[in-house]
Amino acid sequence: MQFADVVVEPMTLRQVMEFPYKHSTGPVVGRFLAGLKEQRQIWGRRVAGGAVVVPPQGFSEWDGSACSEWVPVADEGTVVAVARVWQPVERLHPFAEPFAYILVRLDGADTAMLHVAKADFEHVRIGSRVRAIWGADGERRGSIWDIREFRLARAS
Amino acid sequence: MAQLRNVAIVGFAQLPVVARDEHRTATEMLYPAVRQALEQCGVGRDDIDYQIAGSTDYMDGRPFGFVAALESMGSWPPREDLHLEMDGIFCAYYAWLRMQAGYCDTALVVAHGKVSEGEPRRVSNLQMDPYYHAPLGIDATASSALQASMFMARTGVSDRDLARVAARNRKHGASNPDNQLRSAVSAEELQNTPFVVEPLRAGYLPPVGETATCLILAAEGKAERLCDRPVWIHGVEHRSELQTLGARDLSRSAGAKLASEKALAMAGLDRADQVDFAELAATNPAEEMVLCEALGLDPFGTRPVLNPSGGPLCADPIMSTGLIRLGEAFRQLSGRAGERAVSGAERALVHGQQGHCLQTNIVWICGTKRRWS
Amino acid sequence: MAFTAPPDDAVKYVESLVWLPYHYVAGDYRAVYLRALKDKRILGSRCDKTGKVFVPPVINSPESFAPCSEIVEVSDCGTITTFCIVNIPVIGRNLELPYVAASVVLDGADIPIFALIQECRPEEVHMGMRVEAVWKPDGERQGDHEDILHFRPTSRPRSGEWPRPL
Repeated sequence: MQFADVVVEPMTLRQVMEFPYKHSTGPVVGRFLAGLKEQRQIWGRRVAGGAVVVPPQGFSEWDGSACSEWVPVADEGTVVAVARVWQPVERLHPFAEPFAYILVRLDGADTAMLHVAKADFEHVRIGSRVRAIWGADGERRGSIWDIREFRLARAS
Repeated sequence: MAQLRNVAIVGFAQLPVVARDEHRTATEMLYPAVRQALEQCGVGRDDIDYQIAGSTDYMDGRPFGFVAALESMGSWPPREDLHLEMDGIFCAYYAWLRMQAGYCDTALVVAHGKVSEGEPRRVSNLQMDPYYHAPLGIDATASSALQASMFMARTGVSDRDLARVAARNRKHGASNPDNQLRSAVSAEELQNTPFVVEPLRAGYLPPVGETATCLILAAEGKAERLCDRPVWIHGVEHRSELQTLGARDLSRSAGAKLASEKALAMAGLDRADQVDFAELAATNPAEEMVLCEALGLDPFGTRPVLNPSGGPLCADPIMSTGLIRLGEAFRQLSGRAGERAVSGAERALVHGQQGHCLQTNIVWICGTKRRWS
Repeated sequence: MAFTAPPDDAVKYVESLVWLPYHYVAGDYRAVYLRALKDKRILGSRCDKTGKVFVPPVINSPESFAPCSEIVEVSDCGTITTFCIVNIPVIGRNLELPYVAASVVLDGADIPIFALIQECRPEEVHMGMRVEAVWKPDGERQGDHEDILHFRPTSRPRSGEWPRPL
């Protein structure tokens, strides 16, 4: 018999693959995350030419040169890009309800940082001033999620 | 520009792009594509010197699954083989380089991926760094929306403009039998589809689709024997940008600009609008407009014709999307484009990409005549 | 409070769990093969060019590159071509140690399958040894690789009736 002549009911299988990883941070990412956790402080690094990169790698994002000093930046800044996720994907996106990804240029930084806006996600737009909402003391784990989200910065 | 070896595309085959092939695995889809491409050239597998494949195991959910493709490519006796975790259009570049070095005269370039078996948005998240980006759950659709928002803010391009670009692709795509979406849809209708990730609407994004593709390259001397109308490579260049989204100006594609300038110079051209048509691997209309700006093309112009195939909006089989652009240039320039033929076409610009927000771009210039004599 | 530098004591690791759901397609060749196991039949595909028989069936001969268009049935009895004696436990397999893992060319096939050899002492196993499949009882077979429990020594001679056209 020829394979071409056989009518085959498809055979399928659903299966989940899980890969647990423990990524080494190194001295730059590791200290940046420690700053979030222990100091509630966002740190950048100065690169050749004077620009401040946030969040920092162990090298210049622009020309590959070594970074020099650590520079503290504000936890408040200006939104440069907004993507409102109206249909979150389960177990990929951090929330079940709509939210926004934003790129924020923090005051004192020359690059933008990726994060989310939850409470104000419909009102955040390019040019909006936003501020970090910090995880409570004792709850911060040394992760990018030590900042819970960004909200519109209202005059205090 | 130094004299290089004339290399041509001499064959291309793809399976029609479908949402899901329930009867075949990735490599079982690849086999008929390879056979068809070889038959087009009238040669057997032993007549091809070199082989290179593009796929990603994360997409197929089969660690080291790319090795299985060797069996569908006719890899016995043992072949000189390479695999890239990149779109097949980058594989074509490495085959071309190898020919420039004089190490081979003919090459089989394939791409495959069973996109429907995994979930592409989850896989695209893994392209990001595990400290700052990936933990936030960012995927390629969301990062494309960030890019779109920046581009629209800088240029004043409107939602309506995006809909018009999408509608143009859908219109062209209606006459391409290999497309997954084969119906023209008006800009109004597309603009009424819901946001998936604002500012990108469902009507601006391709559905999940899969296929397998095979392109055959041959150097001058062999090319003429394998194909009645070889399509010659006039220029090619590729450039990668930084990974960190916030360190780039996402509203511009510096990499595509530089790659096209170099490719055009290699081809002896000054500007991208000197070609007759362009095939751009942009997976949403904002990205296409970012590219047009970088390349110096008018997204609303009539010549060069943009995406006569319908572009990735009508069929986006990941890993093959770029290689199809090169295959489309071959079909157009060798008189195999049927109904969608661009009249009098002699030169094409072809673009491929990889990564979030046009992180890596490759630009080819192809033509009906030999570049170097 | 103003800080002059981030803490010296860096966060050492970031943990992540990559979670990826898949919806695999077996492909018609494997589907036909697996379903036939339920009926105690082992299927292969025959190369259009060389006539070689591949088990499980494949779409084309990796050797000749020709299609394998025909489905054939091979015997559930075959010959050991090579083997090893396993003395260390494998996670997820509850087998009494030591056991024998062997390559068995089924009568009618041109390539071996992997097989577990039981019902004999490991030191009795040798290349060229004849073995036969021990199937799960009728009614318990599911159409998967577990339908063959293992292979055991047999005196059945090699038969010319295989491969048998289907």
